[in-house]
Amino acid sequence: MTLKNRLLATSAAILIAATGTVHANGHATHPLTGETLASDQTFTYRVGDESPSYDPGLVEDVDGADVVRDLFEGLMNQDAAGNLIPGVATGYTVSDDKLVYTFTLRDNAKWSNGDPVTAGDFVYAWRRAASPELASPYSWYIELMSIENASAVIAGDMDPSELGVTAIDDTTLEVRLSQPLPYFAQMVTHGTTFPVHQATVEAHGSDWMKPGNIVSNGAYVLTEFVPQERLVRERNPMYWNNDATILEKVVKLVVADENVALTRYLAGELDMTDVPAGQFPRLSTQYPNQAVSVPQACSYYYMFNLRDNAPAELQNPDVRKALSLAIDRDIIVDAVLAGGQKPAYTFTHWATAGFETPDIPMASMTQDARNAMAQELLAQAGYGSDNPLSIDLLYNTSEAHKSVALAVSQMWKQTLGVETTLSNQEWQTFLEARGTGDYAVARGGWCADYNEASTFLDLMQSESGYNDSKYLNPEVDALLAEAKTSNNPQPLYDRVEEFIAQDTPIIPIYHYAAVDMFAEDLKGWPTENFEQNWYSRNLYKVAE
Amino acid sequence: MFSFVARRLAVAIPTLLILIVVSFVLMYAAPGGPFNSERPLPPAVLANIEAKYGLDQPFWKQIVNYVASVVTQFDFGPSFQYKDRSVNDVIAQGFPVTLTYGFWSFVVAVTIGVSLGVAAAIKHNTWLDYLAVGISIGAQVLPNFVMAPILLLIFTLWLGWLPGGGWNGGQWPYLIMPVIALSTSYMASIARITRSSMLEVLNANFIRTARAKGLPMRRVIWKHAMKPAMLPVLSYLGPAFVGMITGSVIIDVFFSTGGIGQFFVNSAFNRDYSVIMGITILVGALTIFFNLVVDILYAWIDPKIRY
Repeated sequence: MTLKNRLLATSAAILIAATGTVHANGHATHPLTGETLASDQTFTYRVGDESPSYDPGLVEDVDGADVVRDLFEGLMNQDAAGNLIPGVATGYTVSDDKLVYTFTLRDNAKWSNGDPVTAGDFVYAWRRAASPELASPYSWYIELMSIENASAVIAGDMDPSELGVTAIDDTTLEVRLSQPLPYFAQMVTHGTTFPVHQATVEAHGSDWMKPGNIVSNGAYVLTEFVPQERLVRERNPMYWNNDATILEKVVKLVVADENVALTRYLAGELDMTDVPAGQFPRLSTQYPNQAVSVPQACSYYYMFNLRDNAPAELQNPDVRKALSLAIDRDIIVDAVLAGGQKPAYTFTHWATAGFETPDIPMASMTQDARNAMAQELLAQAGYGSDNPLSIDLLYNTSEAHKSVALAVSQMWKQTLGVETTLSNQEWQTFLEARGTGDYAVARGGWCADYNEASTFLDLMQSESGYNDSKYLNPEVDALLAEAKTSNNPQPLYDRVEEFIAQDTPIIPIYHYAAVDMFAEDLKGWPTENFEQNWYSRNLYKVAE
Repeated sequence: MFSFVARRLAVAIPTLLILIVVSFVLMYAAPGGPFNSERPLPPAVLANIEAKYGLDQPFWKQIVNYVASVVTQFDFGPSFQYKDRSVNDVIAQGFPVTLTYGFWSFVVAVTIGVSLGVAAAIKHNTWLDYLAVGISIGAQVLPNFVMAPILLLIFTLWLGWLPGGGWNGGQWPYLIMPVIALSTSYMASIARITRSSMLEVLNANFIRTARAKGLPMRRVIWKHAMKPAMLPVLSYLGPAFVGMITGSVIIDVFFSTGGIGQFFVNSAFNRDYSVIMGITILVGALTIFFNLVVDILYAWIDPKIRY
């Protein structure tokens, strides 16, 4: 299937979902595209590991969020392109000072036991997600949404009932923010903000998510769950837009090894799986309609340790810039990774919504010109063949990170004569070393929490807990603070990116792409959705 | 015999306690923690979580609380990684899976291994011997992480006979490849030990006596040679059995069986302290128990051994 067809099909599915007038269930053809539907509407896909939780209040990983989006429905949803469309809420209004959001809920939304979904369910869920009692690792998300009193509630200084969210009546939900947040509405598509059924949670405690106990309001209900093996969800007949759902059953299998998963995909056991590292060129030639590469909302970079205890030679911005210039990103993406990734000269991913990649001088230079400039900068800093620079490069244990590190160290060696010592650490040890500043240069990867440039650039803020470089620049802080409330933050983001290019606290290397195999009869995948947020109810299988 | 068993069980308790304390200390000494991630948690959030799991208590108190809840309530605590499950849940789900494929692997490994070993010893230096030795060396050097993908390729992708993984409640098509992959190297070791031990026994004086008094070879083997020849095999089988039923991460990773091996390895990577402890104690207790069983079987097989 071509990308165009898939998109067409997706928008068709969305249209039905939005109107709810066409009864797709039981029909042999797709109501809008006219494609003949397969009689078995079961979608089976692979994940690499079990998720920590599928409780909306606790969910913390991407695979878990995919399941939560099927089982529960929040105020707003995303369409195939990532735009906001109504969910349980039919819409919202914003006060003039941008501090109060009022959501109007549809009156026909039901829980899987038939109870109506009310504004009170959202209030309960949000208070629960922020409460110290649940101690959710994702409670910071409520804080990130700038909801009034969120920080105090999380810290235990205020009762959860003081959180800035109120049910005016059953279908009206009012949210009060502590500061204007331009992308607030985007944030309610995330699982942490989804409603939970109070009576069920209170009756079953931590067992409420188990099949048999669970009551949910999404297009699917959980019917089988064997941790580390399978999770099955099936159509929820009580879902308000159930008539538009085509896929009957979704099976998530845990297959730890990606090559085994590929074998099982080729044997027809899976409809979707990841393309193992380095195999995209071969698979896209052999299965051109199945191997698909789409932008993924993450950036890969190397960070410099800018703490006082770090090696002195890396405190010189020219040295850091020389090291950045000498990395030939094209070789890394085309020869080392070969999965449709794009070379990065900015930290913010090129496909981020509303973000125009600024003109970073380095980006438009040829690699020869970059190399020449790098040699010059390094010579000025006093390093050369008689006084070679030596660097320790740390990455977390993985074949892919190792190949990138090897390639980079070769480039540094050939262009600049830099001696690089590579070392790798197991994940937890690595995080500890990076967090405490026990490194010189370390690998980093950052994925967007929401589709807006600040999700990346906020890492450059002095106080950010994720600023492992300890890059401190008051001008950058001021720009980022201004961007939070600006109607047009793009020029501010441009200047932050220029600072990153100039001061080089990090070296952006590439922007991720997701490479997957999709069965040819599976349609409706939202390949244009940058955050890869997909809803099973928009997928369907056609007869072959 | 009774006092021997009682004595061994009495020693087992302090052994387990030492195991718990040492694992606990080593685990905490490892860098990182269960709630470290690429995006560090805000301090208030981390404090809530640590309070929930009792990680804000002093170290000695954590050990004491842990041991107390294990001993008095048989409660191994909540999993730190899987937020809405307890360690008891994890073990209750994963252990039966591992026990099932581990048990069948043991049966297959012992049956084929002992048969091959005995056949090779009886037909010493014939083609049968060379074949048996060849098979067992081949099986030994082919690691299961190489064999598993090969099995998948052949039986799932090319022939399409067997499902490529999963468990589905342990139906037999899902069992075949895990059992083959897990049992092969054990089978090889058992065959080699059986062969050399049987060769030694067959040259012993009491076998010559048995044959001299005109007993048929079959009777000599079964009645006289088998029991003494099994002694070295038995000491290998105790730990091997525990190894098989406590799972193999390779099997779980390649065949997506959802057994305890994968939970064990993942828990170490995730610093899921309670799951690490729970499975360590389980494996420790099983090891102690089956070593005891082997010792009791010794006395039954070899009348010379008295406790």
